[in-house]
Amino acid sequence: MPQYMLLLYGDPANWATLSADEMQKAIQKYFAWTQKPFTKDSHRLADDPGRVIRPPAGKPRVTDGPYSETKEVLGGYYTIEAANYDEAVKLALEHPQLEYGGTIEVRHVWGT
Amino acid sequence: MGHVSAAAEPGALLEHLFRHQAGRMVAHFARLLGPAHLELAEEIVQEAMLRALQTWPYQGVPENAVAWLFRVAHNRAIDALRRNRYAGGEEALEELARTAAKTPDDPLVEEQLRDDELRMIFMCCHPEIPREASVALSLKTVGGFSVREIARAFLADDAAVAQRLVRAKRQIREQRLTLEMPHGAELNQRLDSVLEVIYFVFNEGYTAHEGQDLIRQDLCAEALRLGGLVARASLATPRVHALVAMMALQAARLPARVDEAGDLVLLESQDRTRWDRRLIALGFQHFNLSMIGEDVSEYHVQAAIAATHARAGDAESIDWPVILRLYDQLLAINPSPVVALNRAVAVAKVHGPAAALAEVETLERERKLRDYYLLLAVRGHLLLELGRSTEAAEHFRSALERPCSEPERRFLRRKLEQCGPSA
Repeated sequence: MPQYMLLLYGDPANWATLSADEMQKAIQKYFAWTQKPFTKDSHRLADDPGRVIRPPAGKPRVTDGPYSETKEVLGGYYTIEAANYDEAVKLALEHPQLEYGGTIEVRHVWGT
Repeated sequence: MGHVSAAAEPGALLEHLFRHQAGRMVAHFARLLGPAHLELAEEIVQEAMLRALQTWPYQGVPENAVAWLFRVAHNRAIDALRRNRYAGGEEALEELARTAAKTPDDPLVEEQLRDDELRMIFMCCHPEIPREASVALSLKTVGGFSVREIARAFLADDAAVAQRLVRAKRQIREQRLTLEMPHGAELNQRLDSVLEVIYFVFNEGYTAHEGQDLIRQDLCAEALRLGGLVARASLATPRVHALVAMMALQAARLPARVDEAGDLVLLESQDRTRWDRRLIALGFQHFNLSMIGEDVSEYHVQAAIAATHARAGDAESIDWPVILRLYDQLLAINPSPVVALNRAVAVAKVHGPAAALAEVETLERERKLRDYYLLLAVRGHLLLELGRSTEAAEHFRSALERPCSEPERRFLRRKLEQCGPSA
């Protein structure tokens, strides 16, 4: 079955506005997604800005992550199985990331 | 590639676990840091919860979620104290650094945490703090509610609630309020204000103003939880048990108050099988404890009314003469027009609608009740029973113009239909 990556972008500041009760609900919704039969893998990325390596003329330049101008950071990713893009998007539409104001990028893992 | 976590199931977190733990952690760290640093305690707890929110969705809920939260908060508290030094902070830092994080499953720690919560709610209800602020502060610190949740529950503005909390915290700092329990007569007074605050929270939840917002049911549950907390303490008086009994017996009826269609069902026509048996048992347990001693408070009488209803197997066996006597007693303790209106319903059952109508008509002179939809609804109901359907319809129509919830509105429309087409 083809695999798709769901790249979860979001503004971490959004989380800070949730109440204790809402945080608990969010945890349960996200965790439930890691347990879905079509979910193959899921990972969270560290809070730090990461590093970006660009090849300018001369030697490669390493800078802090790409997030200095945007608040949305890539916070984690899931790998799911779906027949095609339509199905992958349909599944992703149910992901809590959208409910909490985040963005999901869906990418087909080539060759799967 | 396997699943990330084989640990706990998604449902492994108890309902409202975060909210309840937030409350007790704030109480716990406020004691360690001193009540003047309540805000810092709240920040520490918020950070611990955020950490959980960032990791648990991927790694799964740790086996001992509560101990995890306490451990993270403990470490955050040490960091915060190292960064931000204040007078007296050294001592707190030493204590935190010396002791390991509290593990709440240890019965001794459990008792200490309950004591922390109790002290906190007693401080929140300090007579120097205005009532509305006490309510908001109790829900925020001990209850673990957010500003937005409190605002929504009380149909208030977020900013107004936030402002109230800021002022109350400033008061705690400037007037150096402590978490010491008061003694003697002062203890009794404070206990009374604690009970009033809990009663207020319960009533707000019980009397749905608009719509069927779940947060309002949460208020009833929180009031019951706080009541239980006080009732378990050694300082609990029969009055405390009376309040808990009243709340439990009334809350037991909540599931039956609306039918499947979301329509309002009057107490006497409620499906009694939908009453919460566990809460009824809890109610009677506290009701028995409330009978010790001579004290007959308003809570006692209200609990007795709720108990009389709970005892009746069906609508026909409700002992209305007993309920009427209890309302007489309640009116003597609390001569409020709302109590009088409720009493009129019992009068109608015992002495007939005409007698009740006369009482309701005298109540209409009360300024407080003039715009109360329930007064018009009760009057309309009595007129209908007396066959005066045109007048009844008029009252239901003007009740519909008053502020009331959607299920209440549908109920009034149904009553209006019963008045017949000519009306």
